[in-house]
Amino acid sequence: MTVLDMRDIRKVYRSGDIDIVALDHATVQVDHGEIVALLGPSGSGKTTLLSIAGGLLTPTEGTVVVGGHDISEYNAKQLTEFRRENVGFVFQSVNLVPFLTAEENLLVVDELGGNKGGKAAKGRARSLLEELGLGHRVKNLPGQLSGGERQRVAIGRALFNNPKLVLFDEPTSALDTKIGEQVMELIRTEMKARDTAAIIVTHDTRMTHYADRTVHIVDGRLDAGTVTA
Amino acid sequence: MFLALKEMQRAKLRFGLLAGAVGLLVFLILFQQALLGGLINQFIGALKNQSADVLVYSDQARKNLEGSIIPPDQLAQVATVEGVADAAPLGESTFTVTAGGEERDAVVFGYELGRPGAPTTLIEGRLPEQGGEAVASEKDRADGFDIGDVVQVQPDGVEITVVGVARDINYSVSPVLFVDFATFEAAKRTRNPDATTILPSVVAVQVASGSSPESVATAINDQVDGVEALTRQQAVDGSPGVSSVRSSFAIILGLFYLVVPLVTGLFFLIVTFQKASALTLLRAIGASSRTLVTSLLIQVVVVMLTGSVIAFGLYAGALQGVKNLGVRVEVQPVVITSLVVLVLALVTSAIAVRRVLRLDPLSATTGGGVHV
Repeated sequence: MTVLDMRDIRKVYRSGDIDIVALDHATVQVDHGEIVALLGPSGSGKTTLLSIAGGLLTPTEGTVVVGGHDISEYNAKQLTEFRRENVGFVFQSVNLVPFLTAEENLLVVDELGGNKGGKAAKGRARSLLEELGLGHRVKNLPGQLSGGERQRVAIGRALFNNPKLVLFDEPTSALDTKIGEQVMELIRTEMKARDTAAIIVTHDTRMTHYADRTVHIVDGRLDAGTVTA
Repeated sequence: MFLALKEMQRAKLRFGLLAGAVGLLVFLILFQQALLGGLINQFIGALKNQSADVLVYSDQARKNLEGSIIPPDQLAQVATVEGVADAAPLGESTFTVTAGGEERDAVVFGYELGRPGAPTTLIEGRLPEQGGEAVASEKDRADGFDIGDVVQVQPDGVEITVVGVARDINYSVSPVLFVDFATFEAAKRTRNPDATTILPSVVAVQVASGSSPESVATAINDQVDGVEALTRQQAVDGSPGVSSVRSSFAIILGLFYLVVPLVTGLFFLIVTFQKASALTLLRAIGASSRTLVTSLLIQVVVVMLTGSVIAFGLYAGALQGVKNLGVRVEVQPVVITSLVVLVLALVTSAIAVRRVLRLDPLSATTGGGVHV
């Protein structure tokens, strides 16, 4: 069953009198539990596609359906709620709130949803962090964690609300190869265990074998995709 | 609430320093307000805390008690104006007296017992019931003006026994004695034995029930020539020196009221800039602008209230050391000042709020913060 269905997406930025086409009739579908690597050079439109899929940006043309919600015409307020309830994000660099502990960085998702981080939420945050190998780090602030540990906490936060789709924007770019591979392995394990769909934006071809399928993007255009796993 | 309090908990020093700075500034506001109140009371407390609703001056006096004399015909005319329930003479003059074994200056107010012009803030003892008795200013008790003390007008004149003390009845920063009018006359004659008639300084008017002091003062001014009738408050505000002291303090206090919210507003603006990337991340993962703005405003309120508590502690402590200035710890000005600076701080935090509202969650994909 399809979790993400993006059809004929165009994203055009206006700069003075010139139109810059960031995405040109891009169409992609991602099924439950499927991991798609989005591979392309800098400026090819990877992050724009990811942002539209996650409701951070609206397309100029085309439709985006995530988990049955057509978000193409959502306003800013609806998109905020949509992101909170339906999507998990792991960004490239700033991923954690520096004044919250590892555990609180997960609980903040619950708080933002209007809940009060009760015992159930705390228990869930702890078990998720333990699952990610961070059981001993729950009370540490991000500044006390290594790069790999921070990305693992971010993965925990992205999964905390049981989203249908998790979007990873170059999750290993700030990590060395060994730690990067460990993080990718963890991502694959966690996504498969939950049957959660994921798009992983990367420009590192060494990381694509962790995905089920690799889609290439060049100048805002997508290819059909290659099965990689 | 969660975000606001967690951030403050993790940055206790930073927020503590701000609350401390706010506390010091609010303390300075409170202390100067108390000082101003004490100073004004020492200048004109006797006018403020006497029972006449309206005081009628000679129009040549320019609202100065020392320069005002009311002849008997004007006193009689004032008594006939509609709305005047009672019009009685009130005399005021400064004398050299012997009190506590030393010669000092004291201001004597003479009023007719049982009529307008009596002190209203008696805290111990009683009002004079006969000649030679006085209510003295509380602040000067230790200087020979306590109940039972005998004050003698110099040279070798009338002796006055203090039978009561009242709060905030000083005048021209001097000790005050409220006596009956005959004793006042006797004191004047001590200084000037040849005086034929001792005239009152002003007419102390009690207005009839149902009449307002303002309307009665206007009626007196319309109907009696050569006088200037003022309500008690107008007499206080118009006394020589009072308005200039008030306006000097107003400038200083105004600057403080400006500085406190500016300091707070700038602090929160800087903090907002510093954590822009974290706020952007929160917006990206689904925090509404409202949640982040509420969190900011909670922090402003917590800092300002903590600052106000610190200020109150300092204020209460400092006033113990300057009791002789006639200042007292009062809760009401603390509450009002705290609320005013809180509201002003919330207003200046609008700049930081605006920054929060302009955060673009898309910037999370580039690790950026505020889009200018």
